[in-house]
Amino acid sequence: MALGAQIILQPINLLFCFLGCLMGTLVGVLPGLGPTAAIALLLPNTFHVPPVTAIIMLAGIYYGAMYGGSTTSILVNIPGEAASVITCLDGYQMARKGRAGPALGIAAFGSFIAGTISIIGLMVVAPPLAKFALAFGPPEYFSLMLLGIIILIYLASGSILKALMMFVFGLLVSTIGMDCISGTQRLTFGILELCDGVGLIPAIMGLFGVAEVIANVEQMIKTDTITTKVTNLLPNLQDWKDSFWPIIRGSFLGFFIGILPGPAPVIASFTSYAIEKKLSKHPEKFGTGVIEGVAGPESANNSATGGAFIPLFTLGIPVNSVIAILLGAFMIHGIQPGPMIITKHPDLFWGTVMSMYLGNIMLLVLNLPLIGIWVQVLRVPYPILFPLILLFCLIGVYSLNYSLVEIGLMIGFGVFGYLARKFQFEMAPLVLAIVIGPMMENNLRLSLVISQGNPLIFITHPLSAIFIFVTLALLLSPLVPWIGKRRQKLQEKVEGEEV
Amino acid sequence: MKDGRSYNRIAAIFFLAIGVFFTLYARRVEIGTFTEPGPGFLPFWAGLTLTLMSIALLLGSYGKQVAQGRSSFFPQPDSWKRVLATFLSLIIYNILLTPLGFTLTTFLFLLFLVKWIFPQSWKRTFIVAVLGSLCARLLFINFLETQLPKGFLGF
Repeated sequence: MALGAQIILQPINLLFCFLGCLMGTLVGVLPGLGPTAAIALLLPNTFHVPPVTAIIMLAGIYYGAMYGGSTTSILVNIPGEAASVITCLDGYQMARKGRAGPALGIAAFGSFIAGTISIIGLMVVAPPLAKFALAFGPPEYFSLMLLGIIILIYLASGSILKALMMFVFGLLVSTIGMDCISGTQRLTFGILELCDGVGLIPAIMGLFGVAEVIANVEQMIKTDTITTKVTNLLPNLQDWKDSFWPIIRGSFLGFFIGILPGPAPVIASFTSYAIEKKLSKHPEKFGTGVIEGVAGPESANNSATGGAFIPLFTLGIPVNSVIAILLGAFMIHGIQPGPMIITKHPDLFWGTVMSMYLGNIMLLVLNLPLIGIWVQVLRVPYPILFPLILLFCLIGVYSLNYSLVEIGLMIGFGVFGYLARKFQFEMAPLVLAIVIGPMMENNLRLSLVISQGNPLIFITHPLSAIFIFVTLALLLSPLVPWIGKRRQKLQEKVEGEEV
Repeated sequence: MKDGRSYNRIAAIFFLAIGVFFTLYARRVEIGTFTEPGPGFLPFWAGLTLTLMSIALLLGSYGKQVAQGRSSFFPQPDSWKRVLATFLSLIIYNILLTPLGFTLTTFLFLLFLVKWIFPQSWKRTFIVAVLGSLCARLLFINFLETQLPKGFLGF
């Protein structure tokens, strides 16, 4: 931990942590762009700095975007991203009652406390878990990655079959490029830029940046911004009393949900809301502007982001699209993911952990006084904002390799992403597949080489067998009527509360 | 009235084509064997899996009504124009970037989008286009020294 403090207090890291938080909040505030888009758009800016600094900046962007998302939810009733949907329910109502300040304040404070708790959890749980993961070989890795994807898909809101199809499609896309084992070119058509594979940045910028904007230009986004001056950002004593337990509960809940694959911040915020409503003495008031409805979910979703880092740092396995992109960033910076990350790059791990503390403090400090500026940003009409966002995407992709081919790829992914949204296909499995596809392929092929062609290796290794068993159980469970109905009920509940 | 089933049908055909393509392509790059998986190993099996899943989706789309239907593809009658125009503007930006240079292409790009997607006044459009392209130029070319194309006009 002392190492972490040493790293984070270096001026360059402080600066980039601050920049990350600032830019992340700015992008998070923009309606229609969430943390995934924020990281996608801002990732190229991190290439000019050393890896540790870059990762610190990215963590700052991630947190910043979550904070920014809550600001838009409370002030404009447009969630910055899925995890802030729940905040719209009571947060916006509080704003309408003139209590935007305390809502924003408690969201910031709650997120800070939750973030801190989850970081402590990360520091405690990660190193021993990483040691355990050293026992993993290629079969265990392959089956664990498969399990992770399947859990993600299982918890996806739409059809499992369609999400699986996106995943397999992503695997196929990830094979484009040079095969690293044999050196064979696969589907590169002689295009130089494709030799290294389809770039992650053009893909995510297209799928999340361009596609999102194009979907938004279908119709004018009607914003109902709270334009009265937002004053008095500090919650009063009663607010604190009401929010204390929701924050604590949300923090722990979010942390554990965060470790599991899937859209953890979303699930965490919805679950927290449901729990707070059940435990409340006045559940009928939820939806009219009660502070518990903001404090709990906001804490939960922030804590989930901390928990989500655990599989990344211990196993090198991402559990949602944002972490997948961060993993991609690690690889781009030449850092091999896996359980050795903590031992091989302790500066990275502890630097990131400390940067999360610092990031939380910075965001608290940034968000409260800068609310006024964010409100001004929100006042920029979307007809003017969206061309600027697209421009940002174009420059971002071009500046990577000065390649028009990559811009073309981004546009192509943009078309695909837009159509996928319209046809109701999930994006997360695709992104995960693009990022971990090569790893899965390597582990699969290595396992088969080790077992001399016997596919049963995945079952003869006990740990791998457990993963495979759970995977199959999840895949087949919708066929069991009772479980299928419960999953459907859960989905309907989530969708109902989204509306 | 399109409902979820026809969307699934169209998507299924698309993914079916992809799956079949990869399954056949894999044979060109050596699938290998289970003992020695080649570069075509994953493309073959994944392609085959996708093909089967697409067939399942296609067959399912002839079954009972899917609840998540939409009455029309676009929320407004003129949505498609905005969507298409925005996509085309991105493609044209890509084409014009090198010959015209960054600053001029950006100016035209912003001008077109601000004026024609959700029409703003000419005054506003010009202010945004000029300020936007100049600020972007100052930020990326002058300050960050990103190598953006200068075009035939040399700036």
